[in-house]
Formats: sequence, structure tokens, C-alpha cells
Amino acid sequence: MRIASRWMWAAPAALLCALPLPAHHSFAAEFDAAKTVTLRGVVSKVDWINPHIFVYVDVKDDSGKTTTWALQSLPPLFFRGSGLTKDVLLSNKQEVTVTANPAKDGSQAYGFMTKLSYPDGHVFSMSPQDADPNLKKAQK
Amino acid sequence: MALATAIHRALAATPLAAAILIASVSAPAQTNYAAEAAKNPGAASKPTPRLADGHPDLNGVWHHFFGIGTIEKVGQSFVVGGAFNPKSAALYSAPLNDPNPEYKPQFVAKVKSLNENQVKEDPALHCMPPGVPRLGPPHQIVHTPRQVVFLYADSTGNQWRVIPLDGRPHGTDPETAATYNGDSVGRWEGDTLVVDVTRLTDETWLGDNGLFHTRKLHVTERLKRVGDTIQYQVTAEDPEVLQKPWTLSRTLTLQPDALEEAAPCVDKDAGHYVTTEHHDNTR
Repeated sequence: MRIASRWMWAAPAALLCALPLPAHHSFAAEFDAAKTVTLRGVVSKVDWINPHIFVYVDVKDDSGKTTTWALQSLPPLFFRGSGLTKDVLLSNKQEVTVTANPAKDGSQAYGFMTKLSYPDGHVFSMSPQDADPNLKKAQK
Repeated sequence: MALATAIHRALAATPLAAAILIASVSAPAQTNYAAEAAKNPGAASKPTPRLADGHPDLNGVWHHFFGIGTIEKVGQSFVVGGAFNPKSAALYSAPLNDPNPEYKPQFVAKVKSLNENQVKEDPALHCMPPGVPRLGPPHQIVHTPRQVVFLYADSTGNQWRVIPLDGRPHGTDPETAATYNGDSVGRWEGDTLVVDVTRLTDETWLGDNGLFHTRKLHVTERLKRVGDTIQYQVTAEDPEVLQKPWTLSRTLTLQPDALEEAAPCVDKDAGHYVTTEHHDNTR
């Protein structure tokens, strides 16, 4: 496995400033939406807890050293009836690609997971368009 | 609300946007009540069932507290839905138009300060029980002639309240002088169940926004079943700090699915807050 932990300045600050976004979720108090980190690794643990579940991904660097990222996701009640469970997340041992917004406080290997992609192309994503091409088309 | 919907649509176009969107669901007091109403069309026009004693039958699952988001399966993938998907956003974005409680002038600054530091100060955001009335309307009601039981699968954990209907007065046990869910007794006023709640701890807030209260808090809930709906109204009175009683209203809709146990609440965020952006969990 190879680490692809590159920092990307995904959003120009100007864009963020231009949007009239009163921040009503403490996401912004904790994670930096303007930065995205991309990781490749294997889901090793899942905490199915309120107020948000945590997905842990073991990421190996080029020297073979493993770092476990703790990735916050959505509230467990969001998943109700969806079919996406702790067991589903844990049972797939394929190498996944994860994008995440890192912690603002500089904590290492801690972030908010925005997308988890499996090799066969299916995803768990915070963006509805990632799984619904019609939605994407409709918005163009 | 139209603005928020437009922002959802504009932002949802990029993966980054979804993250920002989570940070910015801007209209306060959004929940899934309208989405629940859509699961039981014409609910209010259905007949109102009654128990053998003639009172409306309140048994059932009436609300699932999961805020404004869902996970949707699309093909083999899973994506965030509810308010976060333009297809369903309207059902999860209906504003509740809750009034703000009116505090006495000498307490306004304290509320403002608590509100501005909500991510640090809010007990329920850190997994403490929200208490009554912040816990919201019951998720499931178990109704017998002599008592009703309110069940809640809250994001802070599972909660329950046993409410006797036998005319007994409030308790006087000093060991349970003040608790999170208080001391509830119920009575019928016609077809309306009235629940009177006292002996509430002052360690909770009335809502998300720094709404502290004292142990003088007195809560009255009124539940009236109309068909497959319940008109739920809750009034908080705290003469120590509030200028006048504060009332919220919700329409609950009988849900087709079971109440599920809430996952345990473990506060892993507390040490990571850098700034003070707000977090709404309107119930």
C-alpha cells in the first residue's frame, strides 16, 4: 500500500468568503473545509456512536509505517434503514480511497470523511451527485 | 428558506460543497417532521382510535429524531440525503418558526455568552441528557389506562419517562429533588393529555442557543391525537429568568416503522474545537 497524503487547497478562500453562510454546525469549529487530504488504506475499525460515527483507516506510507486515521462521519441515526452499517463498513477489506477535511487544531490523522471510494467504483459520499448521474446532469 | 435551498443546490455540485454544506445548513430549527408527515398521507383525516376508557389511544411511534439528514442507497453506493439532497431538501428544510424565549433583561447577556460559546458550553452537545423540555416530543408512546410511557432514542442516548395518570401528586422525595426529565404527572382535559413536569435540574438548557433555566422551571405538555397525528405543545415557565411562558408546537405523525435503540453518545469532539461555530440539534 502506498500513501497518497497530499494536501490540496481545494477551495479558494474567495469562494468561501463569497457565500453567505452563517455557520450553524460545529463542523466548521473543528474541521477545515478549505483543505482536503486524500488517503489510501483499509478500514480497520468503526465506532458506531453518537453524535457522529467514526471510521478508522489504516494508511501505510512508503516506508511501511502504518498510521491510523480517525475520521468523523455523520450521526448514526442518519444511517437508519439505509443498509450501510458498521458491519458493512468493516467487512470490506479492500484498499479504499478516502478524502477528508483535516482538523483545524492541527491534530494528526484526524479529520472529517467526505468520501470513501471502493475499487469497484461504489462510494460512500457526502455529495449526492457522486452516486446519481441524473442529479449531476440536472444541475449543469 | 428559499435561500438555504438555493445554497444547498449551488453547493451540492461539488464534493467539497457537501462538506461546506454540512457546515452551513443555515436555517435554524430544521427537522424531519415534514418528511415524517409524508410517510403517512392524510394522517390527520383518519379516524382517531380510542382505548376502552374512551380516551384517545396514544400508542405508537410518532417521531424519529435524526435531524435533517439520511443516508440513501443509490445503486451500490451510499450518499447523504434528506436536506443535503436537492431531491428531498424541501421535506427536511421546513422551518419550525419557533419563537425565542424572552429572558429578563439582566439575563440576556448570559444567554448571549452561552450561545456564542455553545460548542463548549452546551451540555447536550457533549452527550449529557438534554432533559425536559429540550428532549422534544415523545418518539414512542406506550399508553395504558393508568400510565403513559414516553420513549426517546435521542442522540445523547436512550431516554424514558413514566407518567402516571392516576391522579397522584408530584413526588416529594428529596433524593430525587431534581432530575433531567423531572417529575411528570398526567391528566386528561377532554381529549387532551396534559403532562405537568416539575423538579427539573438546572443543568440543562431549554434549547440549542444558551437557553439556561433555574430549578423553578415548570413544564406543561399538551398532547391531542387527531387521526394519525398528535398536536404536541410544550410550555416552559421559569419566573426566575423568563419574562413570560415560552411555548413550542409540533405536529407528530404516526410512523410505520419501529423505534430503534440509539447508539451510545461518546464525546470525541470536545478537545478539537478551534472556533465557536454553532451546532443546532433541534428536536
